Amino acid sequence: MLDLALISAFAELRSMGDGRGVIARERRGIAIATVMARKGRGAALAAAVKEQFDINLPLGPHGSGSDATSFLGTGPGRWLVTHDAGRPRFVDSLAQQLDGLASVVDQSDSVGLLRLSGPALLDVLAKGVAVDLSATAFPAGSVAVTQIAHMGVTLWKVDETATIHIAAARSMAGSFLHWLEASAAVTGLVVDA
Amino acid sequence: MRIPCPYCGSRDASEFSYSGDATLTRPAPDSTDAMFDYVYLRDNPVGVHQEHWYHTAGCHAWVKVTRNVSTHEVIDAVLAHDEAES
Repeated sequence: MLDLALISAFAELRSMGDGRGVIARERRGIAIATVMARKGRGAALAAAVKEQFDINLPLGPHGSGSDATSFLGTGPGRWLVTHDAGRPRFVDSLAQQLDGLASVVDQSDSVGLLRLSGPALLDVLAKGVAVDLSATAFPAGSVAVTQIAHMGVTLWKVDETATIHIAAARSMAGSFLHWLEASAAVTGLVVDA
Repeated sequence: MRIPCPYCGSRDASEFSYSGDATLTRPAPDSTDAMFDYVYLRDNPVGVHQEHWYHTAGCHAWVKVTRNVSTHEVIDAVLAHDEAES
């Protein structure tokens, strides 16, 4: 009998170097889905999201909602939805709620999520992200789909302190951690349990 | 070179894939000669030109960029999807 073990995408996340420049925590057990509006149904989709979730569907690269349920704009007519409130089979019910308005694809097991904060966070991210993440250019709520060391990432700023959430493909998790550890070691990378 | 993606904002050109002349119109499929010209024969323009770029590493949108190919100055960028609908 084959034993299957549930191992999270960033299970190998380790502290690195001295200091607390970057504080990292994996966000585990999050339901994640991509939502793409059907042709010509954008307005109806926005109305449905407002009615079902009381969330204003963002039309640009911004996030709406809260950590419990958020809709993140990742492209014209495309969103990344995260749900952290433990509603069972959230993506299945989301697909039913948006039936005929959008295509919903479950990404829960294909995307790893990290929550990053700490005083050196923006300096460390600047080593890999070619987007201005400063408070004026990238205020809280902003979303960027870009790449770090040739790996596609979706990142969004949760607060100005600054706290940034990063989503990366699970298949890239090992390489992404290598980049993060190498980049943050000089300021210290601490895993927040 | 940076390209002002209408959705994402200013991004490095390495995030985009170049997809050629945006001034051409795809010919009818039964016109073999016209299709040959469309696919294989390229002009080599100087100065201001319109090009399609695909935002591969970003929002996955097709962007129609007006650019001076002599100076690399980017003059305008619009979503090709929006323009096709208008």
